[in-house]
Amino acid sequence: MFRMTDSYWIEKNNQNGPYYEQKQTDRSGSGKTMEKTIYIRMRNKLQCPELQKLLLKDLAQIIAPEPYLNTLQNLPIYQIRKEDKNFIIIDVIKVIDQVLKVFPQADVQTIGPAQTIVEVIYKKKKASPLLFISVWLLLFIGAAFTIMNFHEDVSMGKVHRELYRIITGKEDQNPLIFQIPYSLGLGVGMILFFNHVFQKRINEEPSPLEVEMFNYQQDLDQYMIVHENKESMKELKDD
Amino acid sequence: MIKEAIAAFVGLAGGLSVGGGFVAFLSVLGIVPRLTQLTKTVNKISYYEWAIVLGALFGCLISLWKVTYSFFPAFLIPIGLMYGIFIGMLAAALTEVTNVLPILAKRIGVDDQIVWLLMAIVIGKVAGSLFHWMYFARL
Repeated sequence: MFRMTDSYWIEKNNQNGPYYEQKQTDRSGSGKTMEKTIYIRMRNKLQCPELQKLLLKDLAQIIAPEPYLNTLQNLPIYQIRKEDKNFIIIDVIKVIDQVLKVFPQADVQTIGPAQTIVEVIYKKKKASPLLFISVWLLLFIGAAFTIMNFHEDVSMGKVHRELYRIITGKEDQNPLIFQIPYSLGLGVGMILFFNHVFQKRINEEPSPLEVEMFNYQQDLDQYMIVHENKESMKELKDD
Repeated sequence: MIKEAIAAFVGLAGGLSVGGGFVAFLSVLGIVPRLTQLTKTVNKISYYEWAIVLGALFGCLISLWKVTYSFFPAFLIPIGLMYGIFIGMLAAALTEVTNVLPILAKRIGVDDQIVWLLMAIVIGKVAGSLFHWMYFARL
């Protein structure tokens, strides 16, 4: 979390003496600056159409004294350009910079994420049905043959025959009465593990797949934050 | 006598590591937590642990102890079903652990239809399994 107050105070009170003292007296004392405290919480993610002008209220949640609020909310922060492609990271430092340009006296406090990931939605691309069908078939055929390989690999047929013999006392090379329920159970078990429908009715806990999707998205976002944000990495060249 | 003692010790050691591995495998896949989450029986989890331990021991017992029973074959239907559900959950958990589906769904831009990709795998498994037992294994 980035706190603006401290560095702001360094600049402001440099001439008056050690900043620690100043800070201390301010916290306990006058309360003059307190009135101008602006709290900013950047949103995690923002989806917007192309060439949009991003206002502060789009990018962040704001708490500010009533007289400033309207100006702040409609404060333009960034104009999306064509060459931005589809991801832009707006760092909180940029936002603070803009806010201080308008309200130089303000005490800006930031809470929560240090940046907002802006995803520019160009024409919503519809996934081609052909691609979807081929992926579907790929998964279908892959799943079908891997389960056969698995059965062969663990000699499941032998186990089934043996179990049939132990339980019924009879020999059967293909105990289908056992194997067909097994095959159906296989599907039931998978659905049970991933189930949305049944589960959503009972509680709001996400299914493992939803958690997995979420984790993957988080990783992507984290990557974006570091790699799309030019300010987050810096190389000092000696010349 | 000493040879027998060594053999017994080796057997015990082998059993320990296989048992440990089995439990570790189940914990990694998180099937028991998932079942308790579905049925809201988190407080019963120690009974489920015992069910697994006793189940594994029972499996050892019937595979080593050559006894046969003469139950009616229909008795095998519920057993087969539960067997299948368990293996299905294993397969689902493995699919989930390998992280394939979210990435695939994202790549082809069908994040919202991930359930259909899931169904492809589910139906594929069932079809593959039926094909295996009803045709392939009879060749």
